[in-house]
Amino acid sequence: MAALRCCFAGSSAVGGGFFKPSSRRGWCAPAVAAPSREAGPGSSLGERTRVDFPVLHQEFNGAKLVYFDNGATSQKPSSVMETLDEYYRSYNSNVHRGIHALSAKATDAYETARRKVANFINAADSREIVFTRNATEAINLVAYSWGLSNLKLGDEIVLTVAEHHSAIVPWQFVSQKTGATLKYAGLTKEEVPDIEQLKGLLSNKTKIVVVHHVSNVLGSMLPVEEIVEWSNKVGAKVLVDACQSVPHMPVDVQKLGADFLVASSHKMCGPTGVGFLYGKFEILSSMEPFLGGGEMIADVFPDKSTYAEPPSRFEAGTPAIGEAIGLGAAIDYLSCIGMDKIYEYERELGTYLYKSLISVPKVQIYGPALSQADHRAPLCSFNVENFHPTDIAEILDLEHSVAIRSGHHCAQILHRTLGIHASARASLHFYNTKEEVDVFIDALKTTIDFFTPEH
Amino acid sequence: MEPQEDCDVSIAYTVSWMDRTIVLEQSSAAATAFHQWPTPPAPPPPGPRCASSLPPPVSPSPSFPAPTASLSPPPSPSSASQPGLPPPRPPPSPSTTSPSGSVDPAQLPPALRDIVGLFQSVPEERARYKQLLAYAARLPPMDPAFKTDANRVRGCVSQVWVHAEPEEGDGGGRCVRFHADSDAQITKGLAALLVLGLSGAPAADVASVPVEFIELLGIRQSLSPSRNNGLLNMVNLMKRKALEIAGDAGGDSSASQQSREPLAHGVDNKGSEFAAFGMQEEEKPVAGEEEQVEEVTDNLVEVNGSSLGGGRKERMRESLERALSPVELVIEDISNLHNGHAGVAGSNGETHFNVRVVSKEFEGKSLLKRHRAVYDVLQDELKTGLHALSIDAKTPSE
Repeated sequence: MAALRCCFAGSSAVGGGFFKPSSRRGWCAPAVAAPSREAGPGSSLGERTRVDFPVLHQEFNGAKLVYFDNGATSQKPSSVMETLDEYYRSYNSNVHRGIHALSAKATDAYETARRKVANFINAADSREIVFTRNATEAINLVAYSWGLSNLKLGDEIVLTVAEHHSAIVPWQFVSQKTGATLKYAGLTKEEVPDIEQLKGLLSNKTKIVVVHHVSNVLGSMLPVEEIVEWSNKVGAKVLVDACQSVPHMPVDVQKLGADFLVASSHKMCGPTGVGFLYGKFEILSSMEPFLGGGEMIADVFPDKSTYAEPPSRFEAGTPAIGEAIGLGAAIDYLSCIGMDKIYEYERELGTYLYKSLISVPKVQIYGPALSQADHRAPLCSFNVENFHPTDIAEILDLEHSVAIRSGHHCAQILHRTLGIHASARASLHFYNTKEEVDVFIDALKTTIDFFTPEH
Repeated sequence: MEPQEDCDVSIAYTVSWMDRTIVLEQSSAAATAFHQWPTPPAPPPPGPRCASSLPPPVSPSPSFPAPTASLSPPPSPSSASQPGLPPPRPPPSPSTTSPSGSVDPAQLPPALRDIVGLFQSVPEERARYKQLLAYAARLPPMDPAFKTDANRVRGCVSQVWVHAEPEEGDGGGRCVRFHADSDAQITKGLAALLVLGLSGAPAADVASVPVEFIELLGIRQSLSPSRNNGLLNMVNLMKRKALEIAGDAGGDSSASQQSREPLAHGVDNKGSEFAAFGMQEEEKPVAGEEEQVEEVTDNLVEVNGSSLGGGRKERMRESLERALSPVELVIEDISNLHNGHAGVAGSNGETHFNVRVVSKEFEGKSLLKRHRAVYDVLQDELKTGLHALSIDAKTPSE
């Protein structure tokens, strides 16, 4: 249990030092508040970790905040915030080219963060990690840098209807510019992407397959290893949108075999403003730059320039240095707990959420039923018959301080496929608890009453 | 009762409203007054105001009564001299709509002013939401034929439609009547509030309503003009529709200095509104959100991809020269700045132009009217793929 303890017993700020990957001491940042009294061997992961997340401890109108919008963004532990603070206080400096001590420190920390990301997803080499602004930018990078040079009229891009807009729209740009076409796999009656149909869409015209790992609306998981196998047979690349998987389970790019994988820091307890693209080194090496500027060049002449090797080739300009280092701290924090522990806890919690929610009358939850899926992410997108999800979400917030989301969750095509305009979504993370789920369910029932009588 | 919890309102208004709320308490109707519809208003003083000869400015359904006039400040006698405008005040200075968002409620159409007052007299946000639901329940269903794309309000997660039609007011002024609907109750309540507050008012007044009144309602609606701001977009759509109706009236004959002053204020809003839909234009799909900019505004007919192929600039020049005999005319095609976003997909440029016109024809005309004039001249272009104009219209002396 030593690993867990290092995160909760109060650790030192990740100081402006060099990280020694071999030593775990000093990695995990202190809990700002003392561990709660209930924290004992019987308490859940949620109860134990909550103390590390200051933002969760607030109230509105006497009701404690219940933050169930983690699919949109996650909260950050104190260690991440302290890391950012420490960076700006003691060693903020531009990276890579500086000669002085501060720059060396910053560069080291930045590159260490890159290594942490690489280790976190088991990439072969840290040069396969390109820091971007977020997953959306990472997908755009692939679309512009790889897509525009490698796709032409007659080629096909295969996706599912459940993709996030960030995985669809950049490929629409590519399609408009190159003449390649987009093909979508639909849903089965169980409201999961139809894998057989996807397989059927693959042909020697397919050049890239763009799929989510875990759906931010349906909660379902795709069999990425199989998809990669089938795609390799037809010579197509695979880009995996791992925004909803990397924060919640161990992800191993060697096992998955994907050519590209993207994720955002802000969904995995890291700061906003940074995300990453994982790409196999040979592919990255063959790609044109995305953005041009400093850092990504080798030599610059008036009429042309030569470019750096990946990953620098794709990191033009001064990066979000502090934020990348903060992402590194977030990865430390998550690794401290253990991604498999997080996965187990969230699976239990997600099951509890699903069962509690489905027992509320007239609730419909989208995506696979618990019995039908090995894996349901700890989220539920749902609607209550005769109520608009926005009404539900507004009153849940106003009356009960329960924060959920209402809308199309950046998945309009999916919503149209499901035949609805919008849905409400409650999405959890490892610092949520069963008690919060109970509060949410009670609040939901009360909210439904709020609308019913005078209606 | 503390009516001013989270509203930023001028002091004079506060004092008058505190009187009202004390009255409500003493009548011990405070709690119930909110959930019951107050008694119908005494008829407003006669004058060329659209609402005056009509029943309370609502739909025919008797269950949708008007806000109480007992809560409204007594109109000053001189209000009768103008077509439905609030009592004359000094020309609006920037402070009337300061960045903090405070707005003089006297600038609002009377029905809206009453509603704002009603909301401010309610202490709890929860109760205000209940009031919205009450409005929603009583909003008559909208004719499905009105649920068109042109009537759709952008930026709401729910579906919201607003339909406007012109109405003759007393004295021949152009008034506007609104219909609205939504599939979400709170949004429907907001739409109902706006219908109640703005229907039957002179179109020009509606067009120049300062959007800052939203903050006075105390219902967590913000003024940030993001595409996600449903209430603001609702208000702006209603203003745009009212503007059309006002513009169509043509005989804006009482273009007295006074009546133009409040409008000049409205014109600032117009500027920001044009900017708003200019903003809509420039917004590109970023950060994973798909932006369906299929429709710029109901003024401009959306055409996908069918441009008259070349020569638009020349045609525009010709039409403008013929109609306005400009001293100076500069037309700039900036369509390339808008390439690649959903709204112009498929068209071959020639969708966005900067137009600078200096003409004697603009003398004596408000900015509003000048812009209308340019749009009218370019109607055909607007129907065939021209998406947006950025207009700079001056007189030679300016």
